[in-house]
Amino acid sequence: MKFGDIARKWLHVLPLIAAVLALTSLPQVSLAQPAPAETAVQAPAASAQSVNVADQNAAPAAAAEASGPTAQGAAASGYTPLGPEWIKGQPTPGALGFQKQYSNIGDEGLFMHDVVLLPVITAVTLLVLALLLWVIVRYNRRRNPVPSKTSHNTLIEVIWTAVPVLILVVIAIPSITLLAHQYQSPPKDALTVKVTGYQWYWGYAYPDNGGFEVISNMLPEEEALKRGEPSHLAVDNRLVVPAGEPIRLQVTGADVIHSFAVPSLWFKIDAVPGRLNERMLFIKEPGIYYGQCSELCGARHGYMPIAVEAVPRAQFEAYIRSQGGTLGGEEAAPAPAAAPLQAPESSVEGAPGAGAAPTAAAPGTEA
Amino acid sequence: MAGAKNHDYHILPPDIWPLIAAISVVTSTSGLVLYMHDLPAHWPVFGIGIASLLATFYFWFSNVVKEAQEGHHTPVVQLHMRYGMILFIASEVMFFVGWFWAWFDFALFPSQLSDVIGGQFPPKAIEAVMDPFSLPLLNTLILLCSGTTVTWAHHCLINGDRDGLKKGLWLTVLLGMLFTSIQIYEYAHAPFAFGQNTYGSGFYMATGFHGFHVLVGTIFLIVCLRRAYLGHFTPRQHFGFEAAAWYWHFVDVVWLFLFVVVYVWGGWGAQYH
Amino acid sequence: MATTADTFQAHTEEHHHDADHKPAFFARWFMSTNHKDIGTLYIIFAIFAGIIGGAISGLMRWELAEPGLQVLGQVASWLNGGQADFDQMTHTWNVLITAHGLIMVFFVVMPATMGGFGNWFVPLMIGAPDMAFPRMNNVSFWLTVAGFCSLMISPFVPGGTAAGPGIGWTLYAPLSTSGSVGPAVDFAIFSVHIAGAASIMSAINFITTIFNMRAPGMTLHKMPLFAWSVLVTAFLLLLALPVLAAALTMLITDRNFGTTFFDPAGGGDPILYQHLFWFFGHPEVYIMILPGFGMISQIVATFSKKPVFGYLGMAYAMVAIGVVGFIVWAHHMYTVGLDVNTKMYFTAATMVIAVPTGIKIFSWIATMWGGSLEFKSPLVWALGFIFLFTVGGVTGVVLANGGIDDNLHDTYYVVAHFHYVLSLGAVFSLFAGFYYWFPKMSGRMHSELLAHLHFWGFFIGVNVIFFPQHFLGMNGMPRRYPDYALAYEFWNHVSSVGYVIMALSMLLFFANMIYAFTVGKKAPANYWGEGATTLEWSLSSPPPYHQFETLPVIEDHHSHHDAIGTTPSAAH
Ligand code: HEA
Ligand code: HEA
Ligand code: CUA
Ligand SMILES: [Cu+2]
Repeated sequence: MKFGDIARKWLHVLPLIAAVLALTSLPQVSLAQPAPAETAVQAPAASAQSVNVADQNAAPAAAAEASGPTAQGAAASGYTPLGPEWIKGQPTPGALGFQKQYSNIGDEGLFMHDVVLLPVITAVTLLVLALLLWVIVRYNRRRNPVPSKTSHNTLIEVIWTAVPVLILVVIAIPSITLLAHQYQSPPKDALTVKVTGYQWYWGYAYPDNGGFEVISNMLPEEEALKRGEPSHLAVDNRLVVPAGEPIRLQVTGADVIHSFAVPSLWFKIDAVPGRLNERMLFIKEPGIYYGQCSELCGARHGYMPIAVEAVPRAQFEAYIRSQGGTLGGEEAAPAPAAAPLQAPESSVEGAPGAGAAPTAAAPGTEA
Repeated sequence: MAGAKNHDYHILPPDIWPLIAAISVVTSTSGLVLYMHDLPAHWPVFGIGIASLLATFYFWFSNVVKEAQEGHHTPVVQLHMRYGMILFIASEVMFFVGWFWAWFDFALFPSQLSDVIGGQFPPKAIEAVMDPFSLPLLNTLILLCSGTTVTWAHHCLINGDRDGLKKGLWLTVLLGMLFTSIQIYEYAHAPFAFGQNTYGSGFYMATGFHGFHVLVGTIFLIVCLRRAYLGHFTPRQHFGFEAAAWYWHFVDVVWLFLFVVVYVWGGWGAQYH
Repeated sequence: MATTADTFQAHTEEHHHDADHKPAFFARWFMSTNHKDIGTLYIIFAIFAGIIGGAISGLMRWELAEPGLQVLGQVASWLNGGQADFDQMTHTWNVLITAHGLIMVFFVVMPATMGGFGNWFVPLMIGAPDMAFPRMNNVSFWLTVAGFCSLMISPFVPGGTAAGPGIGWTLYAPLSTSGSVGPAVDFAIFSVHIAGAASIMSAINFITTIFNMRAPGMTLHKMPLFAWSVLVTAFLLLLALPVLAAALTMLITDRNFGTTFFDPAGGGDPILYQHLFWFFGHPEVYIMILPGFGMISQIVATFSKKPVFGYLGMAYAMVAIGVVGFIVWAHHMYTVGLDVNTKMYFTAATMVIAVPTGIKIFSWIATMWGGSLEFKSPLVWALGFIFLFTVGGVTGVVLANGGIDDNLHDTYYVVAHFHYVLSLGAVFSLFAGFYYWFPKMSGRMHSELLAHLHFWGFFIGVNVIFFPQHFLGMNGMPRRYPDYALAYEFWNHVSSVGYVIMALSMLLFFANMIYAFTVGKKAPANYWGEGATTLEWSLSSPPPYHQFETLPVIEDHHSHHDAIGTTPSAAH
């Protein structure tokens, strides 16, 4: 089918683009991706993807050797994306409960659900079930041929009104506390990252670090599997943030509403056009955490996953440099508290990231 | 129990108009969709839909009037109609709640990010608003006045003064038309356009729906006027008139809220036109 | 009581030719002003729409049975013409869920509960000859059909990325405005508009009927609980739907006439749409369940041979649910960026509803306590309802916690929650009511055996469909996805297998209908026996074309709020 063709075409072009990019980046020594505003427009989708491809071609051995983000070798020469062994937040096949949590708020939320809510609702349901079974067994026509005529009992009615009230109060107290914790604001000097939802990909901008924006598209299935990552969740460019420190995440939508959601971080906030939603993100340890767009946003709503890559501070700074961004002391980075509303790029035909990449090798489309 | 009806409720024979009404409605909305997308045949489709809808209204209500004249509207049936009308007005109130909700949202939380709003209300893009204390105030007085004339007509009706009833109704209808004319004049000379920003959207849609209700109310009153000439109303049975009067008062009250909230409060701080 | 019923029947048969004079076919079914005929039309329509909505959900479960895209290609090329491309396929998924949600909510559950059973049994139960506004009653029905037609046009015309409205049943802006050019979305919006207008009119009709047309002696506090449930529901409809109408109008003008209610470029606010929608939307979910509560009350009392326990508490619990239902709407919007105090308020307010709902659950059980239960099919469906609605209700309480909903919002946990209260709540009450009253309406007995088999197949099927969806949701699977990560494969597969079980059981339902209309026995006036005491059981099955030509007088033998113990008698 068509998609197969498209996919094959792109696969041919990719090494070429990688080569061109490697050449042009020679003077810069690093694998710096120029600010997306210029290049991206000229080479939609490809520019974003080629960075990762180039990495893979350039340093397969180094990646294998490096034991992870703490390996200073990788950090020294630049930045290497975390390998699949760092995947932490992802769904588990056949699982019955929540994903493992990697943030404080996730721990608290998980406790609230598993220790408070689940036992309560299970008990309520089982109580109702037991009562039903009891009346079925005891008060059927055979065992109880003559029905009673009782239709009132004030005491019991007060009890089944008051007890649920008490239970709900018991639920409400930790619940309200959880909410209060969720809304703790990050410290003033926290790193600001701006997330923009586009139809149908994500943009991650770093206003504190020169304001460049990285475009993140879903990887085609074969590509994801080749990299050892789960399909439908793997992306070309992850949202890279430092681990172990509070981050100010600002979320907005460029065209329609999207939702930035990462289950293993207990994090979900809508990307609404015309609004800037701000919430603190705190990831306890380095790793890769997958999420998916969680508000219906049109045809490819199911194909704009999120991958957050949390790395130690040094790695993060290497990442910023590799993207041509600036760091605290180096330059007076223009860091507006609230990043300005961006023009909805994706509504423009052929805008960066609006390419056909995610669709190319979607499985089972040979209908 | 003789198989004959032993109660005062109105049991109706089968009637074709409900079916026609439904077909007309979906025809006119479909015509509207065609029109909005500039698709072929939109005028014929919309026109047929609306025409048959208007015809339905005409014949349906004529039938109701006929039934009233034939004495089917016993006291309990009239009570039904009272309930029906009050509940209908209650639902209309909730409809306007939606428009006021939007207005308050825009006025209390003007967008910081939109250039045309600039974090203020009336928005930056609105250079001038209507002076609430010129034509809108006049319109307020006209509507309030029409509220008293319709009450006057009602009192005349109760007291058997048919002439007074007609005079009161004539005045009310004329005041209603005057209101509509002034409103049309105002729209034509407004310093801001329809839509384009929250002010232009909220203002025209809220006052526009009110205007539409004034129109419907005026037609309702004209029908009553005609019925007054035909001698339909008696001091004891004249629910058609009362319903029109209630509706008119409702439209009046909505206007008062519009005047205070949209014209006066909503335009506060802006330049008057 | 049985004697009274017999007397009544004798009377009606005596004067068969008068009371039973029916108009000719076209006049009877297309021009009807008879509440029972209109009720029948509504029920036939709801079953018809239910087949379509259920079939669409079958396509959906087929699609989700395995990772990758299975059937969307065919559906998309059918709707769009020609070979469908990827975006057309995924857009078609959104069209399917939109159609499924809108059909089930506006054209199955609402027409069946209010239009069907409400029309049929509210006048009978309160001892009225018909509804207050018989003609308006009919226009409500035909407008519902008209709305359905508008919805059925929409998938076949351009909608944006491809044919059809791909915006979800919530019609969120700006996806439904600037995000979807093309007439499909306008057809869908008008469909809801028209159905809403129909419901407002029937709400006015029900309120007026119940307030004005109760038989002598039938005070509000003696009125059967089903009539109470319809009364409360009608108020919810009356006050909630017009707000939706305003929101829909804003969508239309934003789409076509340049207003900016929801367009941020002109200062508009997409969240405003959500407030307006859910101010309607949350009362709407109680609109869908309260009539079910009413039917369950009648059924439980009938087959326990006992009056309803705590009648007044039951009635006012519904009033409380209705009132509180208006002030909890933003629990559907926890992730849009509300401030913390708002979220705390809505968390607390939402949980309050568990209290009056609990009163209902426990009162049903107390009604059966000490009763002499007879497990006829309506009671079996009612027992299923009580248990499964509880399961769905308690997961609602989980979602009510804003801090928890930050993880679960827009995942399959929500899908599981609302299908437990709808597909396993409202639909179970529909089948309970259907088997309870079917012989009364048709005059023919259905097969109890088939009804029981239908129950077990459906019970197992829908649980297999929807229970695993809790796991999927907690594990992070978002809703409105045509395809998913491999980790979600297992439970999705199980869920789709459940659909097959459910579908097979539905064949038994239709077989039962064929059985009833071909070989089914004639139904007597009161085929459930001494437990069935409300007024409809005093009439023949089916009741005369015009019942209560002489109004029944309700004599009070028992304590003043003992609804079930009232006895009808004819006054001469
Ligand atoms: C019939 C329909 C129906 C009913 C009755 C309910 C009932 C409830 N619902 Fe549900 N709900 C829906 C239909 C319904 N819902 C739909 C369709 C959606 C999704 C819409 C969409 O997004 O598309 C939804 C979504 C929804 C959400 C938003 C989730 C999200 O999108 O993130 C929430 C959050 O608070 C919620 C809560 C509740 C609560 C608290 C109740 C309560 O009323 C439940 C009360 C009942 C009980 C609790 C059980 C019985 C009680 C006892 C036995 C007493 C003891 C109990 C305790 C002490 C706990 N519902
Ligand atoms: C009353 C409401 C209702 C009912 C009954 C159902 C029934 C079913 N639903 Fe649906 N569903 C919704 C309301 C309902 N649903 C809504 C509102 C959504 C959200 C849409 C959105 O996201 O916008 C949704 C979404 C939804 C999804 C999620 C889609 C997604 O997010 O991508 C899925 C997936 O499995 C699903 C499946 C099913 C299935 C398998 C059934 C089966 O149980 C169907 C089988 C049931 C029947 C066959 C019974 C049919 C009834 C009758 C025949 C009437 C009988 C009448 C009388 C007796 C008078 N539904
Ligand atoms: Cu983006 Cu859903
Ligand atoms: Cu709700």
